[in-house]
Amino acid sequence: MANYLSILIFAFIGGSGRYLIGQALPVSAGFPWATGIVNLLGCLVLAWLSHAKRVTAHWPNAVAEGLGIGGIGAFTTFSTFSVDTVRLITQHQWGLVGGYLGVTLVGGVLCSALGVWSARKWATFPVVEK
Amino acid sequence: MMAVLAGVGAAIGALGRYGSSQLVTKLVGTRWPLATLVINWSGSLLLGVLTGWQVDYVLTVILGTGILGGFTTYSTFSHEVVMLVDQRRWGAALSYLLLSVGVGVVLAGLGVYLGAMLGSGR
Repeated sequence: MANYLSILIFAFIGGSGRYLIGQALPVSAGFPWATGIVNLLGCLVLAWLSHAKRVTAHWPNAVAEGLGIGGIGAFTTFSTFSVDTVRLITQHQWGLVGGYLGVTLVGGVLCSALGVWSARKWATFPVVEK
Repeated sequence: MMAVLAGVGAAIGALGRYGSSQLVTKLVGTRWPLATLVINWSGSLLLGVLTGWQVDYVLTVILGTGILGGFTTYSTFSHEVVMLVDQRRWGAALSYLLLSVGVGVVLAGLGVYLGAMLGSGR
């Protein structure tokens, strides 16, 4: 029950935060900056959080799950990414399609990898991982 | 006010993701991240429908930015790709990445088309 409540609260913060960033950073030059930045930032934080056991081990499970699954999960979004890509395709903005896919996919994987790597290096118990 | 609506929607969406993810994991296990795949595919299709339908701004914020934005997730998807790479499961990592995005974009496009048809029938 605590997990559900925690996910609700953190997801509320994550979702409204994503909306506010979208308002602050509207689409300029046809490029969906807000969704791109939100997703890359979320990739970094979620990956770090998932492996920084030395930090999260002391947290109640509801807080760790709420922040990761609820907060960061709702902060980042896949559906807007897909629909934005479709919009750029229907506008025949091929350069932007390639740029947006490249930045989100390659950047996302790099941010996730950086999160995992940095958490394993500085914030994990050596025994827990591997 | 709109940020509150987006937040409420996202809370509902995230809870839906948590529940459906547990259900799919219980059915098929965790060896392949099928739960996130199904969630992101269905969310992309539905957001496409909503976009094509051209519903008003308040509904777009609640249903689109809120519920579907909170239901689907990019951070978990990307983390799962990196974890497959970490396990040296290159084929699984590449196919998961390409299937998620390739089929996700096609479904979103199909959704926009369907939504436009539904919207024009009003």
